[in-house]
Amino acid sequence: MRTKRVRGIEVRDDPAREPCFEIVHLHEDIPDIGGMGIEHRRQRLHREYNQEVQAIEVAAICITDFPDAPWELRLELARQCWDEVRHAALLLRRLQALGGHKGQYPIANLNWSLVGMIDSLVGRLAIQHRTFEAGSLDVEAVAIPLFREAGDDETADAMEVIEADEIHHVRFGNEWVKRFTDADPRAVLEIAKAVAWLKRVVAATGGEPLHDIPTERDARELAGFSDAEIGEVERIEQTINAGNECSAGK
Amino acid sequence: MILSVKERGQFVATMRHINVWLMETMAGWVPSTPEMEVKLQFGEHLWDAAQHADALGKRTSELRMPLHHNLPPAKEYIDFLNTVSGVEPTQQRLAAIYDVVLPGLAAHYRRFLDKTDSLADAPTVRILERHLNDIDRMLQSNRDMCSDLPDLFLNDKTWIDALREQEARCDPVAISITEPEARAVEA
Repeated sequence: MRTKRVRGIEVRDDPAREPCFEIVHLHEDIPDIGGMGIEHRRQRLHREYNQEVQAIEVAAICITDFPDAPWELRLELARQCWDEVRHAALLLRRLQALGGHKGQYPIANLNWSLVGMIDSLVGRLAIQHRTFEAGSLDVEAVAIPLFREAGDDETADAMEVIEADEIHHVRFGNEWVKRFTDADPRAVLEIAKAVAWLKRVVAATGGEPLHDIPTERDARELAGFSDAEIGEVERIEQTINAGNECSAGK
Repeated sequence: MILSVKERGQFVATMRHINVWLMETMAGWVPSTPEMEVKLQFGEHLWDAAQHADALGKRTSELRMPLHHNLPPAKEYIDFLNTVSGVEPTQQRLAAIYDVVLPGLAAHYRRFLDKTDSLADAPTVRILERHLNDIDRMLQSNRDMCSDLPDLFLNDKTWIDALREQEARCDPVAISITEPEARAVEA
């Protein structure tokens, strides 16, 4: 496996991309065009397009790296690949409808670089499905009304389609994490290792996974999170927001 | 002549193995293929291969084999699959899958359908007929993509022909016992 160093941390090297893409290490290296104008929406669609492609790539390496995984799980991952393909195609179609194109903005592949370093399948499910995909449910719940307010119902509709699929991805991630930990308590250690790795990368790269995004309780319930788990995410979110308010008040 | 349960099981389990290989090969190529359209096509078609493997794997348990039983193909066919797995340029990857592996697989399915009894082996027949339709769709999808993006066409006909010949030389099923021989063995 080829690796690269980002802010002193060794992560998996980028997946293959066409020469039209400028690749940066972190999203914060891409200047954010604020507001909900057409340029911002193009930039966002471009970023989400590449995020979906990374999701295909992560699901695909879960299939190839773990040939002895239960067949039912490999089947779920294969189906996920197709879902993410459709999501990427939907987002590219919207980007092109708004006059944008592939390679218009720089891209970062941090999800891939982070998850691709985790050496257990249960660890990858804990991070990719239970954390990143579950986090995207929260992000989409905020984004969909913003796109509607901006008069872009087509993009909002596309995001609703995507959200419905992501709920299932999070749900099967939850189910398989539970099955792995029920079958072998050592799986909990693999999850703890993966979570520690996520924290290390987030700390090094300055990311804030729940920054300013309210937890989408309904979608998380559908995705199989328990009340206690959702409550824990909400508690973390409140802690982060309280910290932000204190910092702002200084 | 009705193919024996053993012969049908061997064919189905071997085809399952090949479809799992197809799923894994396309999955392996998703991150290492730079062109987004191709990456997305592999991402979609690996799901087709997975569904085919799943249907065939359920059928193995109806043919006196374990559920989702895999039988490795004959050595020559494994060598052919290894040749394909090692291909790196995108144009060659596309040609290998869509000009050689899938048409070859379809030909093996059709030959089996010609041999097997459509009543005795109706569940396998239904499965393979559905898979043939899917393969047609996959091939059409690749033709459409290459027509939109002509740079993806492989112009090296010699390379494709050589791979086709390698595929055509081998019967994927490792152990092929004809019915009279099988009866003789049993006797």
